[in-house]
Amino acid sequence: MKQYLILVRSITYAQRLERALERVGIRSQIGRAPMELTGGRGCAYAVRISQNGLTAAKKIIRGDGFGPVQIWLVGDENFQEAEI
Amino acid sequence: MIYLDSAATSFQKPPAVERAMVEALHEMSSPGRGGYPTAMRAAETALECRIQIQELFSAQSPEQVIFTMNATHALNIAIKSLVPRGGRVVISGYEHNAVTRPLRALQAKVTVADSPLFRPEEAASAFEKAIRPETDAVICSHVSNVFGFIQPIDEIAETCRKKGVPLIVDASQSAGILPLNMRELGAAFVAMPGHKGLYGPQGTGVLLCGEISHTLPLLEGGTGSLSAQQEMPDFLPDRLEVGTHNMPGIAGLLAGVRFIRASGLRSVSEWDKKMAAIAAEGLNEIPGLQVFASPDFLAQSGVVSFLCKRVDTERMAALLGERGIAVRAGLHCAPLAHRSAGTLQSGTVRASFSVFNTEEEVRLFVEEVARIFKENIE
Repeated sequence: MKQYLILVRSITYAQRLERALERVGIRSQIGRAPMELTGGRGCAYAVRISQNGLTAAKKIIRGDGFGPVQIWLVGDENFQEAEI
Repeated sequence: MIYLDSAATSFQKPPAVERAMVEALHEMSSPGRGGYPTAMRAAETALECRIQIQELFSAQSPEQVIFTMNATHALNIAIKSLVPRGGRVVISGYEHNAVTRPLRALQAKVTVADSPLFRPEEAASAFEKAIRPETDAVICSHVSNVFGFIQPIDEIAETCRKKGVPLIVDASQSAGILPLNMRELGAAFVAMPGHKGLYGPQGTGVLLCGEISHTLPLLEGGTGSLSAQQEMPDFLPDRLEVGTHNMPGIAGLLAGVRFIRASGLRSVSEWDKKMAAIAAEGLNEIPGLQVFASPDFLAQSGVVSFLCKRVDTERMAALLGERGIAVRAGLHCAPLAHRSAGTLQSGTVRASFSVFNTEEEVRLFVEEVARIFKENIE
């Protein structure tokens, strides 16, 4: 199944997203964002989800003041930015 | 020792606070600085503490709960975010140096909304008159640290909302004791210590941020976010939390907040007030003492100040200390409050209570005050 990384602004936002996803039954995992995804801005955190949680995640992100986020599809060798 | 100085810091803590701090030393490293288990455990604890505090004070979001080193630190961020150099500020007549000294440093034009002790209606009216359209900020302590006077913060907040002036609430003596609803108040900031009514350890404080467009970091440095950028992040909490977090402190604060929420604010408040009322009643029976108490204790929390004209207040506190009773005398870092109450020259002796005090302790305290008074005037 496809995996996605949701890049958020800080650890606090990552944790909030993880908890919000958990409340709607979606498992996720917080980790450090790969440097290549941070667009030269430096350290960030990402929340990893599988494809079946993507729609719910997008809904949460739009509705709960998470600020700017990016969603990346995790490929075998690279990442591909997905629409929010 | 009978500890009656909880307005300075609540020395007696729930046992869970110490356990949480020791656990943090063993199991938590730095939150937001790594993805390994000890860093994530620290991050979980920090977030849980933010959420518990957000819920207790009805703050907008966990990110708007900022960890500081104490209430003074939190007040400095709030004041320096809102008050420009030479700005206009309205404060109550019962503010602490944590408010008045930063204002002096900013050369602010300060209007004191003067009112007599324990007259909340007059206090509300004084603010109504003092706040002008050009006022940059209103700053008000919820409860006076010297006299326990509960100021009419809801009414003052309403006036600020009506006049469009941002409000900073100093909740140093009320956080964890009296209800305070950030959303209903519409305050720009609420500052509080973690180590008084919230029963966390010393070295902890909290700043609640409301709907504000600008906050001024007092310190700049690493936040674990946007590291390639040389400006501080523009989002909370990172903008105001710099460097390594005090994880043992935050873990202890979380345990303290959980203790308060499990106990219930009402029962905590009623107990503190009951202890103070017993003390005030007993002290009032000692001829020659002046006791500062609100009629029926309606506008007073768990703090009682008194003075005896024939025994210096510092001497009274020292003699009580020798007998194993801890109280604080002098000006309590609040000369403005003493000026308002007419006690600037003498200071007062202050007894302040917590849920860990007992009626027996309070009665012993009153007996010792009576004994000292008698011994020193005969």
